[in-house]
Amino acid sequence: MPKIGDLSLSRRLVLKTSAWVAAALVIGVPPARILLADSAPIAAVPVTKPDQKIQLGFLYDETKCIECWACATACKKANNWEEGVQWRKVFNSDSHSLSMSCNHCADPACLKVCPVTAYTKRKKDGIVIHNSKRCVGCGYCLYACPYHAPQFGETTGAISKCSFCYQRQDQGYDPVCVNACPVKALRYGDIETLKKEAGANASLILGMPSPEITRPSFVTIAKK
Amino acid sequence: MVQHWGWLIAIYLFLGGLGASAHLFSFLAEKGYLGEAGSLARIGYYIGSPLVAMGAGLLIFDLGQGLHKPWLIILMFTNYRSVMTWGIYILSAFIFVGLARAYLAWTKKESPKILDYAGAFLALSTCMYTGMLLYVVKAIPFWNIPLIPVLFVVSALSTGLSSISIVAHFTEKGELKEGRALEAHWLLLLMELIILVAIFGLASSGGRGPVAQLSANKILFGSYALPFWIGLIGLGLVVPLFVYTRMIIRKKKQVRSNMKNVMTEQSEYVPCAQEIENSNVATMLEVPEENVQEDVAVSSEPHGATSKAILLSDGAVIFGGFLLRCLIIFASLPTWNSMLG
Repeated sequence: MPKIGDLSLSRRLVLKTSAWVAAALVIGVPPARILLADSAPIAAVPVTKPDQKIQLGFLYDETKCIECWACATACKKANNWEEGVQWRKVFNSDSHSLSMSCNHCADPACLKVCPVTAYTKRKKDGIVIHNSKRCVGCGYCLYACPYHAPQFGETTGAISKCSFCYQRQDQGYDPVCVNACPVKALRYGDIETLKKEAGANASLILGMPSPEITRPSFVTIAKK
Repeated sequence: MVQHWGWLIAIYLFLGGLGASAHLFSFLAEKGYLGEAGSLARIGYYIGSPLVAMGAGLLIFDLGQGLHKPWLIILMFTNYRSVMTWGIYILSAFIFVGLARAYLAWTKKESPKILDYAGAFLALSTCMYTGMLLYVVKAIPFWNIPLIPVLFVVSALSTGLSSISIVAHFTEKGELKEGRALEAHWLLLLMELIILVAIFGLASSGGRGPVAQLSANKILFGSYALPFWIGLIGLGLVVPLFVYTRMIIRKKKQVRSNMKNVMTEQSEYVPCAQEIENSNVATMLEVPEENVQEDVAVSSEPHGATSKAILLSDGAVIFGGFLLRCLIIFASLPTWNSMLG
């Protein structure tokens, strides 16, 4: 049986709590808005798949790759990698090689876990962009990404990753890595078109993580 | 291989679980679910919220921007799809409600029911969050096992109970009324052991893929084997289980012998009904002080050794709980670890 005293006290508490919540919102929302406005260069849009026009992705042709690292070197130069950070990497083992950066996944895990919504996925082409200005440096995306695309920079204390050279693409140029490849082992384009290339394997080879996790926009043509 | 999260995150998850469940146990003790556990009813309120707040404070130091641009932390409330954002909401609410509850307990004011239940609910949510944070990461197959959140909750409960038992030992003078806490604790440790066997059995046999297998084997047989087997399994689980089991058996025996005493006393003189009721209630629920003394005279161990064993076991449980979180965080390999075989 709730007593009258009990009731009034709880009502008071409810009022008090709502007052606190209101105060917190009043204090919290405007700075958040301001910071959000700060990140204006990127069209801050939520992921809405139905109205996304195309999904860009990379194609890596292992049969052509000569492991010259031109893609990674060009990327480093153009994008000014922070010390200890690698936006693109060339993996190699005795029998295989692989050049990989961010796969601009259809279902990006980084975007899902990032508490500060530093990640956005462009409607226009599905590019996943990380805004370092918003990044709080928690490192959650570092764990969530199956491909180790987000990289933590010790100097800035923030994450950065491959942006698919979106500014360059917006001006009509190719991404620098694709441009730098001397043997055309690295290409990019609409992922649906790339998947139709002869020998293209969308399910990803070479001991790569299951594409089920994030549905990466990446296809490979593997050595036989 | 890059492992970003270190000690601070382990301490944060550990304190989050410990503080929240200390609060939860005080709630349970207060509501009478732990039997006559009067001594545990307030301590959890006092230590719960501050410990969680301390852990959350440590987290700030682990953030890359925690000291550079701390105002960015407010943005951590913005992604409703992120478990970390949920956690920030849950923790903030728990710290607030927990402090309010502690204040009411301190000033001996009656607490409104909503506050009690909201506190308990948020405490349990905090425990669950510490496990869910890791579980949802599919790219770390060893974390992505559904039993991981369960393990974190059970382990949090046992460390929380241990922590209030330890504090009660020093702050509550005279008899320590733990009620059914000992049995609850015993059950929690047994559950934790079973869940650990299930998780490691599943992962080590390859049931969760090659990367999870590698992680599990690293803990079972690799570089983390020593802290796992000696620290967590031995010191943190088996030893306290053994001590609690002995205590429970002894307590049962005492209750039985007390019953007998009451019977013989009854045969000597005829007490009034009230007296019988009193002594029965006392012996059934609790071991009164004089009986403990009596028992000490009979048993070979002195009274001090008994409580010291429990105290040390509680310490070992807390140590084990911390070790568990460290092991799970440090030993977890990412999927990209096996790139190109």
